[in-house]
Amino acid sequence: MSSCRKRCKRQILKFAQYFFRFITGTLNADSVEDELELSAVRHRPEALELLEAQTRFSRKELQILYRGFKNECPSGVVNEDTFKEIYAQFFPQGDASTYAHFLFNAFDTDHNGSVSFEDFVMGLSILLRGTVQEKLNWAFNLYDINKDGYITKEEMLDIIKSIYDMMGKCTYPILKEETPRQHVEIFFQKMDKNRDGVVTIDEFIDCCQNDENIMRSMQLFENVI
Amino acid sequence: MAAGVAAWLPFARAAAIGWMPVASAPMPPPPREKRRGQDGLIILNVSGTRFQTWRNTLERYPDTLLGSTERDFFFHEETNEYFFDRDPDIFRHILNFYRTGKLHYPRHECISAYDEELAFFGIIPEIIGDCCYEEYKDRRRENAERIQDDEENENSKDMVLPEMSFRETMWRAFENPHTSTMALVFYYVTGFFIAVSVMANVVETVPCGSGPNRAKEVSCGERYALAFFCLDTACVMIFTVEYLLRLIAAPSRYKFVKSVMSIIDVVAIMPYYIGLVMTDNEDVSGAFVTLRVFRVFRIFKFSRHSAGLRILGYTLKSCASELGFLLFSLTMAIIIFATVMFYAEKGSSASKFTSIPAAFWYTIVTMTTLGYGDMVPKTIIGKVFGSICSLSGVLVIALPVPVIVSNFSRIYHQSQRAEKRRAQKASKQAGQALVCKSNPTFETQHHHLLHCLEKTTNHEFVDEQTYETSCMEVSLSKPSMSRSSSLSSSPHGLSSCCTRRNKRKSFNVPNSNMVAGRRGSIQELSTIQIRERPMSNSRSSLNAKFEETVPLNSEDQSYITAAVISMPTPPMTTPEGENSASSPDFLQSNIVRVSAL
Repeated sequence: MSSCRKRCKRQILKFAQYFFRFITGTLNADSVEDELELSAVRHRPEALELLEAQTRFSRKELQILYRGFKNECPSGVVNEDTFKEIYAQFFPQGDASTYAHFLFNAFDTDHNGSVSFEDFVMGLSILLRGTVQEKLNWAFNLYDINKDGYITKEEMLDIIKSIYDMMGKCTYPILKEETPRQHVEIFFQKMDKNRDGVVTIDEFIDCCQNDENIMRSMQLFENVI
Repeated sequence: MAAGVAAWLPFARAAAIGWMPVASAPMPPPPREKRRGQDGLIILNVSGTRFQTWRNTLERYPDTLLGSTERDFFFHEETNEYFFDRDPDIFRHILNFYRTGKLHYPRHECISAYDEELAFFGIIPEIIGDCCYEEYKDRRRENAERIQDDEENENSKDMVLPEMSFRETMWRAFENPHTSTMALVFYYVTGFFIAVSVMANVVETVPCGSGPNRAKEVSCGERYALAFFCLDTACVMIFTVEYLLRLIAAPSRYKFVKSVMSIIDVVAIMPYYIGLVMTDNEDVSGAFVTLRVFRVFRIFKFSRHSAGLRILGYTLKSCASELGFLLFSLTMAIIIFATVMFYAEKGSSASKFTSIPAAFWYTIVTMTTLGYGDMVPKTIIGKVFGSICSLSGVLVIALPVPVIVSNFSRIYHQSQRAEKRRAQKASKQAGQALVCKSNPTFETQHHHLLHCLEKTTNHEFVDEQTYETSCMEVSLSKPSMSRSSSLSSSPHGLSSCCTRRNKRKSFNVPNSNMVAGRRGSIQELSTIQIRERPMSNSRSSLNAKFEETVPLNSEDQSYITAAVISMPTPPMTTPEGENSASSPDFLQSNIVRVSAL
């Protein structure tokens, strides 16, 4: 009820403003419309030597990465909406926004709402040049939405649903309601050794290391850069 | 913005590692990377002006002169640079196109010189960015008219629209009468009836000669009451039907009911129905007569038929603040002058200025320079103030009028521009489809990424049609027979996993690369599963094999992740003839074969 009243008040206020402006006449038209977002955020990354030491990329690779990054985001940081937009362009048939949200949180290690070049390049360093342990760690961190060290069934369901969302609706076979849930069940059957309903990091890493498929697929993107 | 997106593809692929632990099926192998040369600087010497850029920047658009091997013809060994004997000023824009992905047209350049440069460097003008496209097109048209060349192509057909429901078709027909003949007929018929109805209203009141037994003249409406009633009924019937049809077809009925035009429609037909209901009661019929005034609102229905009227209405709406200001200042002036005139004329006898409100009439008539003369000041001081009143009236009214006029002109030109842009859009899209080709490496990598996603979820991308047919088949529950029929279209269907079929702002991807890549993968799958059957070129056998793979995949989900991955077996001679040569890397590489046992 209070929201209704608030809305009423806002409407009356708007009407009064409009009436006032109607009477007095405005010399500057479009006074309501200029809501320029002053993007005051500018970020300069750390020195090249520092990044070279912290990541496993060579100088040249960092240069190439930064040039691409800066071209897309001249301000030096990516906020979540831009991130979602960019990621969505690779999956035109489905809705990549939920997965992009999780991905953004995984890259934004200091949780300040934006991904700077350092975050970006650290994440890529793990994904492309890290050891299998580090990669699995990163994946675990991605799945663990609330970063409490345990993957629950709900968290896994959210992740799996977001992955299925990226497929869109025109798939073969047709996506059914219970497909993500079944997928989660399979995953938990495999990973949750002590059947306590959550997957810890050790269970996860253990299980993945014993699975040849997963091990092989981790090496898939070695030479992306 | 293919350039920008391509820069993020490595990131998207790296992030795909997040899918690996939850994948239902093993991942496809990555496409083999072409041996990429070292990214170096290229020097382009254009008539003495040196431009430098990265080699990768130029290779973003491999269909142009600079992006392909054609530039080698211009390589100058002595100075180790590429020399072009062309205009450096225009070349600047062309090089910027490679850098930013947007081609701009400089206004001070001659249009034919610009066109020549674009043609030389192999760039199609249709990719000029939106900011400069209109200017470019206008200049080009002027130029063509000047040379008396008939360049303009007729774009008569509308864009091909997706399948719409009957309701949507109806709404479109109402909103835009030029879409179909029926709509046009309907448009003209309603227009005719509006005119007839308004004319009837007008003629009704004309005196039509006196009847034999009456002294005074009767109006035509009373003399031919039945005829006018029938005419009115017919018109109201048409208007009611039209309103109901619009109401049914409207995508958002609530919004439609709130809109101005629908209110006008309702107000136009209500008096008739109220009249039908209330003919008996004599007291209320007086009020009913007043209601008939509202019938004149039918003339506003013409605004659907006339764009100019709509523009006028829109102008008045947008100039509302100026008009309001005008009204307010006039009111102020009227009150001031009326008060002054009243007190000035108070003294004179038999003065018409009996009260200040009575003086309002004089002030209005004087300020708008009408000057009826039914009220005139008689005292000297009254005349002095009367003259000041008339002079100030002219000024106060003359000031806001140019603002309103300029607003109208701006909106009118804007609507003209919208029309122009709509006409140009079709040809522009056709041109863009030809030209926006990303490089093939990007294509294979993007395709591989999508393939990984398919493997993760164990579902495949199909296009709308296949999806709909499979939907129908699922509901009909005839799995085995119908699947083959749906699959016969699936090689095409699967080819569209990356096409620009939806409304998302995505880059344009040609189909050819996808189709070849896809067919390759289908064959790869089919060769894996059934090694004994001989490979043949016919699509039906391909489908038969594919059919076998699909149930295996969907039913044995839990087992596939534990499948044994066999090492590279000698590649079967896939029918290369069927594939176009666009993705040779993909087929020739040592593909890791997977067998689900």
